[in-house]
Amino acid sequence: MHDFIERITAYVHWALFLILEVLSGFLLFQYNHYQGSVWFTQANIVAAMVHEWEAEALSYLRMPAENAALARRNIILQQNIDILRHELAQAKGDTTTIKREWTNSSMTLIPARIIDNSVRRRDNMLVINVGSDDGVAPEMGVVSGTGVVGIVSDVTSHHALVMSILNSHSSISCRLRGTEYFGYLKWKGGRPLRAYMDDVPRHAHIQKGDVVETSGFSNVFPAGIFLGKVAEIKNSSDGLAYELEILLSTDLANIRHVNVIDNHNKAELDSLLSQ
Amino acid sequence: MIVPILKRLAWALLLLLVQVLILDKVHPWGYGAPLLCPLIVITLPMGTSRTEALLWGFGVGFVADIFAGTSGISSAALTFIAFIQPALLELMAPRDSEEQLHPSFSEMGRWNYFQFIALLLLIHHIIYFALEGFSYFFLEDIAISMGVSYAASLILIVLVEHVRNPKK
Repeated sequence: MHDFIERITAYVHWALFLILEVLSGFLLFQYNHYQGSVWFTQANIVAAMVHEWEAEALSYLRMPAENAALARRNIILQQNIDILRHELAQAKGDTTTIKREWTNSSMTLIPARIIDNSVRRRDNMLVINVGSDDGVAPEMGVVSGTGVVGIVSDVTSHHALVMSILNSHSSISCRLRGTEYFGYLKWKGGRPLRAYMDDVPRHAHIQKGDVVETSGFSNVFPAGIFLGKVAEIKNSSDGLAYELEILLSTDLANIRHVNVIDNHNKAELDSLLSQ
Repeated sequence: MIVPILKRLAWALLLLLVQVLILDKVHPWGYGAPLLCPLIVITLPMGTSRTEALLWGFGVGFVADIFAGTSGISSAALTFIAFIQPALLELMAPRDSEEQLHPSFSEMGRWNYFQFIALLLLIHHIIYFALEGFSYFFLEDIAISMGVSYAASLILIVLVEHVRNPKK
């Protein structure tokens, strides 16, 4: 009997090894970022707190570069407004229509700071310091001064987990500015500034440097938010369409401040679409 | 009994903090970051029960996973090397070594200990990057990421070990 017990205990570590590996496998495959528990992620209370201290300490270092990017973006937007104002004046013969302050009441922006971020993995996620208490809910869009950042996938009361556009599951409805050609922006891993837009028909006139922006079809992002520029025009794998390589406008490795888009019409639109 | 465990726990926390706060942000040429956590398993002394080794491996991996958002990947890789570490240590330790040998340059000899680190780290990295790149079609990217991270981790760990316990 003693012998028997000794023999069993000699193999206990084998059993433990198998149990722990199976548990790891369970965490790896069963758990995913799009539903289920947020507690095993970077957004759980302790991990978020540590990342928040760190973000606080680092944010001062990056402020000058961020400010410069925002200022540059502001100038570009002002120029755009200026051009549009001129065009509108020419088209309508007066400018009174534009003088009323334009407010889009169906949308609010919730400012947030990124407290954890990665760009080197295949499925990158980020954590921001606003959560359900601030009005953030899953499937809201997240943008920065330079363009689209990602989509909220899970929230706790004070933090939210965001699926970055640098995630193999990310797919953002986009179009070529000034045309009706639309497609989906996807990231295929590798370099953090390169993404792809598929299914662009071969008769489309495309040039390197054409702007890619959100299409507004998805209810997550309003139309016209900057995504990037066409860097390379390639044939799709089946040879029937173009696959565009896009140079992303937002360097996700280098951002701190973002805004969450709360689209008040989204619930209405979603229920309409599901009917 | 309890003091060595507390010491090891403090050592593990220090390595985890360095990993989470510094190394996870470093991407040499945009590829894999150096991984320091395997050092906790590598330095488990001879005579550690296999069960204890496994719990260290899984525990450290689990915490690293939570902070890095890599659920299951570190814990699987570290559990695996914790499983083979005791046997490998017995195989590679000098014949005349003490019973409570602590893996280090001074106690195992420079070349022996380097081989020990390099081998365990390689196995760890193969598992880590294979799991991370599951269904990844850019094989080349995983290979480069693994290579870069392996080289960076190996250099870093050897440096840390030299500082911690220089050869006599």
